[in-house]
Amino acid sequence: MDEQRLKESFARVAAYGDEVPLFFYSHLFLGHPELREMFPVSMVGQRDKLLNALGRIVSDVSNRDALVPFLQGLGRDHRKFGTVADHYPAVGASLLATLAHFNGTAWDEELARDWTEAYTVIAQVMTGAAADDETLNPPWWGATVVGHERRTMDVAVLRIAPDIPLRYVPGQSVAVQCEGRPRMWRFYSMANAPRLDATIDFHVRVVPGGVISSTLARGVTVGARLRLGAPVGTLQLNMASPRSVVLAAGSTGLAPLKAMVEQAAALPNPPRTHLVFGARTSAELYDLADLEKMAAQWPWLTVTPAVSHDRDFRGETGTVADVIGRRVPLAEHDAYICGSSAMVRATVEHLRSIGMPKERIYFEDFGWSES
Amino acid sequence: MNREQVTPERVRSANFTPSRLGRRGLDEAEVHAFCEWVSDGLGRLLNDNASLQEEVLRLRERLLDGGKAKSGVQPEDAHVQAVYVLSKAQQTADRYVADAQEYSRELAEDAHLRRDEILREAKMRASMILDEAHTTASQAASATRTTDEPLSGGERQELQAEIAYLRTYSDVCRTHLRAYMESLTRSIEEWERAERNGTGPAKVPPLPSRNAAVMPVPAPQQA
Repeated sequence: MDEQRLKESFARVAAYGDEVPLFFYSHLFLGHPELREMFPVSMVGQRDKLLNALGRIVSDVSNRDALVPFLQGLGRDHRKFGTVADHYPAVGASLLATLAHFNGTAWDEELARDWTEAYTVIAQVMTGAAADDETLNPPWWGATVVGHERRTMDVAVLRIAPDIPLRYVPGQSVAVQCEGRPRMWRFYSMANAPRLDATIDFHVRVVPGGVISSTLARGVTVGARLRLGAPVGTLQLNMASPRSVVLAAGSTGLAPLKAMVEQAAALPNPPRTHLVFGARTSAELYDLADLEKMAAQWPWLTVTPAVSHDRDFRGETGTVADVIGRRVPLAEHDAYICGSSAMVRATVEHLRSIGMPKERIYFEDFGWSES
Repeated sequence: MNREQVTPERVRSANFTPSRLGRRGLDEAEVHAFCEWVSDGLGRLLNDNASLQEEVLRLRERLLDGGKAKSGVQPEDAHVQAVYVLSKAQQTADRYVADAQEYSRELAEDAHLRRDEILREAKMRASMILDEAHTTASQAASATRTTDEPLSGGERQELQAEIAYLRTYSDVCRTHLRAYMESLTRSIEEWERAERNGTGPAKVPPLPSRNAAVMPVPAPQQA
């Protein structure tokens, strides 16, 4: 397999952008109409994902250490969509047809051989990881909503009980799908450390026009059924660090950070932790009562609410970054940040600008933007 | 007449004004403009003709090539065509979903703005009510302070009346505030129910009117 040739041919194809996955999926569904059922009506997001994944695989083709874990994750993750090993040959055939089509006259037998070989390896790693995962985990976890509290107009806190306990590390999130909205998955972070009764809290904020978020926040009631994918995410409390911790939460970005506080509480010597919880107005500090209860109970924890758009607020005003700058001596801290894209970006930039080293800043970008 | 199509009829029926006195023949400017128009039109036609000719040649070549390879459309081509048709259909579906999502996003944002406005107004009204109650109460307090002498029976009575008035006043304040808040909450709930049921915000029951008597202040009791 000539890796250089593979990369060159993919570059030729990738220049066609969205046309490539569009052709691929149409080719796949023409040959195997039964597979169409596994995808949502709108394929826009799906096409982006496919092109990104292919791009990443091709660019890492010589870097096995990075590529193999990525493919294994992809293989495991596809179980929740109902993907089985039998589907892989059909996908391979359509992938090859697509590459041949967009390579035009540059496509020859050698290239076809290279790509067949490459896809065979990809499929082996993915199906192998999926098969290993089958012995440990279900393809997805069924769960029942056991608590639903609307804390503000836009934020609800859900408590769910999975049918089978879900093992995860605080800071991680899972893809969630709800009844009546098939084949649409959105990621939510677990907002608590694992409990004995295995229940999980999600903090759901309505994204304007967001189908899943509005359904979870307003449409579902106690008793509703959800599906959860396997836990993912790399935001985790660094237990090896000797430093204190500052947690910067923007709105429902609080969820994974709250789980980390609960995790710290179970340690023999919890690190000194300062949680700054930010929102636009004081009414949107949807979980403050609970956080203050935790702070009253645990002397190592300080909670500071920060409000950016409410002049009447009596506490700290400004963005989370402003408040951290004022209140927290950064030299002795590790920082964990979670919130909207804009909030994460602004906070990381601010911390960097006041001299916090990059390797002490951990963050998770939720990908939504505050309107 | 500049961009109009040049037609034999228009050229044949062209009319020109005779020259002004002292000059012979037709109006020179009109004739020039006409010639300009005819030459523009002809140029366009010739260009169109050339590109059509090219198209014909291209199609003819393709037909001959196809004929050479095999007669009719190849199955591979047919499959690619089918892929394109399905792709077009998918793109149409994508657009419908995107439009619907955009529409619902706009509705939600409108609703948010309206909600913020209502809350702002309610807050303002509440602080106004409190201010007024405060003013009245402090006035009453200062009025009692000015009387240092022991209270006469009449004064005592007057003071008790004042206290009774204040109690009534604060009761009225509270009742009206509560009623107003409740009706606001009810409206918001109705609104949300309507939203959930898929009926647009147009069918939402009206909010308590801005001018509804929120706080009829009891007439000060004159002793």
